[in-house]
Amino acid sequence: MSEPAPSVPPRVLVVDDAGLVRIYYRGVLERAGFAVDEALNGIEALERVLAGPYDLLVVDVNMPRMDGLSFLRALRRREAPWRALPVLMTSTEAGAGDREAARAAGASFYLVKPVAEGDLVAHARALAGWRP
Amino acid sequence: MPDDSDEIRPTGARCGLPLRSDAARARGTASGQPVPEAVSPVTDAEFARFCEFLYRRTGIHLTPARRAYADRRLAERMAATRSRSFAVYFARLRAGLGGEAEQLVNAFTVNETYFFREEYQLRCLSAALMDRVAAGRPPGAPLRIWSHPCSTGEEAYSIAIWLLEHWGAVDRYDIEIVGSDIDTRALAAARAGLYGARALMRLSPDLVARYFVREATPLGEGWRIIAALRDSVRFSPCNLMEAAAMRSEGAFDVIFCRNVLIYFDDASRRVAAGHLHESLNPGGFICLGHTESMSRISPLFRVCRFADAFVYQRPPEGEHV
Repeated sequence: MSEPAPSVPPRVLVVDDAGLVRIYYRGVLERAGFAVDEALNGIEALERVLAGPYDLLVVDVNMPRMDGLSFLRALRRREAPWRALPVLMTSTEAGAGDREAARAAGASFYLVKPVAEGDLVAHARALAGWRP
Repeated sequence: MPDDSDEIRPTGARCGLPLRSDAARARGTASGQPVPEAVSPVTDAEFARFCEFLYRRTGIHLTPARRAYADRRLAERMAATRSRSFAVYFARLRAGLGGEAEQLVNAFTVNETYFFREEYQLRCLSAALMDRVAAGRPPGAPLRIWSHPCSTGEEAYSIAIWLLEHWGAVDRYDIEIVGSDIDTRALAAARAGLYGARALMRLSPDLVARYFVREATPLGEGWRIIAALRDSVRFSPCNLMEAAAMRSEGAFDVIFCRNVLIYFDDASRRVAAGHLHESLNPGGFICLGHTESMSRISPLFRVCRFADAFVYQRPPEGEHV
């Protein structure tokens, strides 16, 4: 009897400087079936992403050392597959200008904090193109 | 709610694991059951001198009612330092040999607690206090919570876990949780974040699975707080009675200061209350033990009645108590 191969959970990198936020997003995403890694800022995130592979990045805008937008611009300057990697931006800023700046930097989607558990899961699944 | 008698609970599970017979003795003491006592190692005159020393050093005020408890701690320290008499021990203590003053303080502070103790206060934190202190702050602004004294860290980690589970805006602000205590051994245990089953008795299996990793220890099975959570809570030594040390931690929005002021006499309580007031941002809140009342100690705080708990507040800027 051969069982159908279990679908491999997508790998997500959560990038946020706040420890509690990383724990919260990690918990939500892991319960939804994702495999989750963490990075504390854009520099760490770049290192991890290049060592990848990842299926989705969840990236905060405001971080020390390298913020989310700088990270995203650096990522999008690279070749495929990094250029095309889905990136879900999270931010406490709800202004139209902030959303536009994220879109211009190459964000796939923009969520304003606080991010509800259901929204994070729905958008993560949609962007990763995956359902358990 | 388990018994939370605020009478002295002599040092129990020091590193969070059920260690010595102290916890059992403590329960015996708290429930008023007779506890076999050794003959006092000190005379009344010696005890008086010792009390004065401890008071000047820590603000802890030993009453005659706590003589038996104090005798046990003293006998322990005398044995540990191989002091044949109180005079020898006291000389060592006053000379500061081998960090004995710190060891003594450690022996006289209470360290038995567990996760989600005083759940009503945590409910109040997520249902009322956090929204109030966050109001008017820009998103992403720091919100600072202080567990002081934090003992072996259960309260500080409980606050983090509770907010992760119950406060929807946990990712909207930069929440900083600090645990402080005068007891450096307790702080080391808090940083290690390793606990025994008793400390976890109020947590659901789900929460334990989410925030702890099971670990074998020489004393049996233990549960260690996950690394990310340990990294998110900072622990620092601090004495409520020392103004400079208190100030160096900066201003907080919510302070949990449970069951420590009961150790102090009136004068020390007022000093500590003044320090706590200075350590709060205007509009910030302080949660005490459920038998404690700030109103009886200091006129600086406003009493706030919420659905889940009584809490004391430093009045917002421009407002009076």
